[in-house]
Amino acid sequence: MALGRQAVGRPGQICKVGIKDVAHGVVVSVPLVPEELLADQEGALQGMVQGVLASGAVQAVGLGSLLSVVAGRGESLAQRVSVPVTTGNAATAWAAWRNLHQVLDEHGKQRVALLGFSGGVGGVLAELLAEDGVDVVLGGSGKVLERRAKKLGFELLPEEQAAASAKVIVGAATTGGTLDPSVLQDNSVLLDVALPPTLKAGARPSGLRVLAGEAVGLPPGWIRDGWGQLYHLFAGYGPWQLFACLAEPLVLAASGRDRPYAQGRKVYPQDVRDFGLAAEALGMQPRLARGWMQAPG
Amino acid sequence: MSAIVTDPQIAAKVQNAIAEALGLDDDEVEADARLMEDLGAESLDFLDIVFRLERTFNVKIPRGGIEAQATNTEDEGPYELDGVLTELGRKRLAQAMPEVPAEDFKAGLKASEIPTLFRVATFTRLVITLLEEKKKGA
Repeated sequence: MALGRQAVGRPGQICKVGIKDVAHGVVVSVPLVPEELLADQEGALQGMVQGVLASGAVQAVGLGSLLSVVAGRGESLAQRVSVPVTTGNAATAWAAWRNLHQVLDEHGKQRVALLGFSGGVGGVLAELLAEDGVDVVLGGSGKVLERRAKKLGFELLPEEQAAASAKVIVGAATTGGTLDPSVLQDNSVLLDVALPPTLKAGARPSGLRVLAGEAVGLPPGWIRDGWGQLYHLFAGYGPWQLFACLAEPLVLAASGRDRPYAQGRKVYPQDVRDFGLAAEALGMQPRLARGWMQAPG
Repeated sequence: MSAIVTDPQIAAKVQNAIAEALGLDDDEVEADARLMEDLGAESLDFLDIVFRLERTFNVKIPRGGIEAQATNTEDEGPYELDGVLTELGRKRLAQAMPEVPAEDFKAGLKASEIPTLFRVATFTRLVITLLEEKKKGA
């Protein structure tokens, strides 16, 4: 189950999605606008609890969009319901990790700038890339990040300097609109995991490719009801792909695992790998995309 | 750092809440650490910190509470002009945040940069103030 936003009213079901004979989900909205979510996190939590209870005997709960960052990033909801609550961050990290390797395969092994190292997705990506032996420069600052970067053997630079120092950039900050595009090199590739997107408005360098970092292709047997078709379009998934927050609870329910892949701020490399194995077993693959479309190689 | 009222037990709980919100060890969260610059907090992390503090201490932290305290300057003059804090605004903000060194309130400081000033002790002081207000109101 994934939770999103509805215009008005009580928590309610938007549509049904799932993988035939494997796992079924309902997308439930919690009818709060972002300002209300931010101002009243207890109210948001109540809405999430109601949404879960109204969904019947669910085996996993996924949190979409702002619901994954309010009310303790899934932890408070998990204390109130008897099923694992997962934020989607492991699926996001897995898709970005795999998509980045595809970019490096296409463009040749080279230095990668990873922005948003301080966040959960950025942090676990850094750990995974360190294990892979990828040459990474991290974007961020501060004593804690310096200590962590040193432990991983990576250089830490202010975000814009890091972005300017590589031709392959991963935008994994938890908020978008943070990077001035003019700092990027010509013909660079930005794998964008941030929502809203990483780049501020402004002139972009020549030949810049911006690719969706967290898209997952539809697995075989993907089903959706009529509203589900519309939801795919209006929620920005497009007709051929899923976003992580929808994929993760379905994989969790299908795997029978009794603990979330991601909850709270910290995301662990082993949970990302475990998610990837379970997702691949269901036929899910990361999808390097430009908007709704498969990105040309 | 200016002398401020503190309480070791409250301070420890605040540090723990911040550590949990940021995925850090408790000993990485020192009282004078800046949330963003030193601890790597992002704007969304403030939401989580506020939520955890509200639950831990059973208080309601008003959104923009610290800023609101400092921006009540109607009788004296503008607090900010074109997004940049006036001298009066910086003075009032410094008064509202005694745990932040005076040199941090430098000329040209933008209103949008106020969260960069927040320290762990800022939240400790805020919680203590709210608990005292709650006690008085009880």
